[in-house]
Amino acid sequence: MKSILKFAGKLTAIGTIAFAGTFGIYMLNLENKLIYYVVRPILNKHYNAQVRDRRI
Amino acid sequence: MKILDKPIRFLDEKLRHFDPVWQSENGTGGLRIRYNDKTGVAKYREWRGMRDTMLDYAYWLKTWGALSLMIVQAPVKIVKALLEYRWFGSYLGAFMMLDRLMEGLRGEELKVSHMQMHTVVSSMTQKLGFLLKNDERFGGGPDTQNIIQYTETIGPLWLTGFKGLYPLPLQTYSEFFVSYIDQHVLPYYIDVAESFGLPADACALCASETGLTFDDALPSAGKVLITSNMTCNASESKNMFERARAGKPDFAVAMAMLHNDPEGHTYSRKNLEEGIAFIEEHYGVKYDWDEFFKHAEWMNEQNTIEIEKWDYFRTEHSPLNGAFEIIYRMYEWQAVNGTDYKCNKNDRKVIERMRRCYESKYIPFDGKYRHRAILWGPAACYYADLPTWLRNCWGIRVIFGLECSMGHNMINTEDPDLAMDDLAIFTEKNVMRNVGTGGWETQKSMFEWGKLFNCDMYMIYDNIACKGMNGFHGLMEECATAMGFKVVFVPNDLHDSRTVTRQDIRTHINTYMTVVMGEEPLDTTLLEFDDSEAY
Repeated sequence: MKSILKFAGKLTAIGTIAFAGTFGIYMLNLENKLIYYVVRPILNKHYNAQVRDRRI
Repeated sequence: MKILDKPIRFLDEKLRHFDPVWQSENGTGGLRIRYNDKTGVAKYREWRGMRDTMLDYAYWLKTWGALSLMIVQAPVKIVKALLEYRWFGSYLGAFMMLDRLMEGLRGEELKVSHMQMHTVVSSMTQKLGFLLKNDERFGGGPDTQNIIQYTETIGPLWLTGFKGLYPLPLQTYSEFFVSYIDQHVLPYYIDVAESFGLPADACALCASETGLTFDDALPSAGKVLITSNMTCNASESKNMFERARAGKPDFAVAMAMLHNDPEGHTYSRKNLEEGIAFIEEHYGVKYDWDEFFKHAEWMNEQNTIEIEKWDYFRTEHSPLNGAFEIIYRMYEWQAVNGTDYKCNKNDRKVIERMRRCYESKYIPFDGKYRHRAILWGPAACYYADLPTWLRNCWGIRVIFGLECSMGHNMINTEDPDLAMDDLAIFTEKNVMRNVGTGGWETQKSMFEWGKLFNCDMYMIYDNIACKGMNGFHGLMEECATAMGFKVVFVPNDLHDSRTVTRQDIRTHINTYMTVVMGEEPLDTTLLEFDDSEAY
């Protein structure tokens, strides 16, 4: 019984932290800020440097 | 969960001044104030009240889930694709696109819209992941030789009779849908096409597909390439480039242009039959009618539900509005057509909610809308959230769009001969064809559709680069004036956001609404804003 309660407690703690973390990211729009200001500019630099097989 | 009603009401009351809809109604802000200028990056997400914010958050998690499922299909190849294809990088903007589309939505409208969009996201990520896993560019995969790549405008239903083969559209993932997500990606490919001498005033959709071909940016799989003459003669030209570059045996399934003419169906049917024989020859498989009938039944169910949806669109009680049926139907027709059962499951759930809303006389948007509009013509794909803006800014509720009316006849599921007749009609009436190309009667039918859905406003997308449609503009104006309809022509350049910008479109509508209609906006923060650098 004690181990079940301990497991449930751990699960609740993990769930709460996961919710707080993901909801914080969601509400503050952090993933979009990261994509727009960091990831995409790096990718664009890479795309612009590509040598492509351009032909008809 | 009635026990939670009281604390939720309490919290909603305390936090309501963060709700942009409440702010605009009370003169303290509006839907646009949470954005950074130009970039379209929101400082924080929209507070919609406790229940709706949690619903939006849950679907945000589900979108992450769908993306994760795509990545686990072939993690290395997905990373390679991200580094190889510029268009694939644009999919990172999917979260922002969903936020833009859902802006200002609450209650049933939010739920149903999320159901529709999540089905698109989950089906598309699965199919795109499968395609990239088997892309010849990355060494191929176990099903590379079992894929049939086809021009998206012909739809995959007729190809479902090949058991063990997977029909996948050539352009939907790499060209068409990325325009909804990122307004800047296709102009790059248009420039590539123009650098080879393509005139700058060509159709932006065909120009961007041509650019993708010249830039060697289309995924490749399968033994053959199936193209078509649809939607129009410009599409035929870009198909030629795609066929030349693919370097595989190809077959162009030509459909009758005047598709309302019974003579045309015979011609279309013959070409579909020849297409089937061509695939049988190259893949060494026999067309399996039982397999086809199974998928045709799925499609029939989807179309039966679609037609029932139209009944609810005619009333004031439909929670499904705006871009959500248009985008869903567009994707479902081009890329699914009875090949993904999750669309059937979603349709059943959505129609159930629509039935319930009708029975309870539910009024969407708390009744805060002034017009019921029909959206017609080739859309500004780079402004997918225009219907959302129309509702939030001017109270114009988009009821029905051109794409919703694509091939909706039932297919016989017992007799191959009768099924082929039905299939010819079904396939002829694809994207932009049922109400776009096909003659003056087809064009004029817009006014009949508008009356059917009790619309008081007609919004016609005026694709400035479409040589076929330009001639119709004047005729449509004359027709509308004679009939006494309110018509707004929405200038756009289909996939090129530089020629007619999103703000140009808004300014055009703002002018019409203030000068012609003499109305005031519902949310003044939405009238004019700079989103030129936004996805």
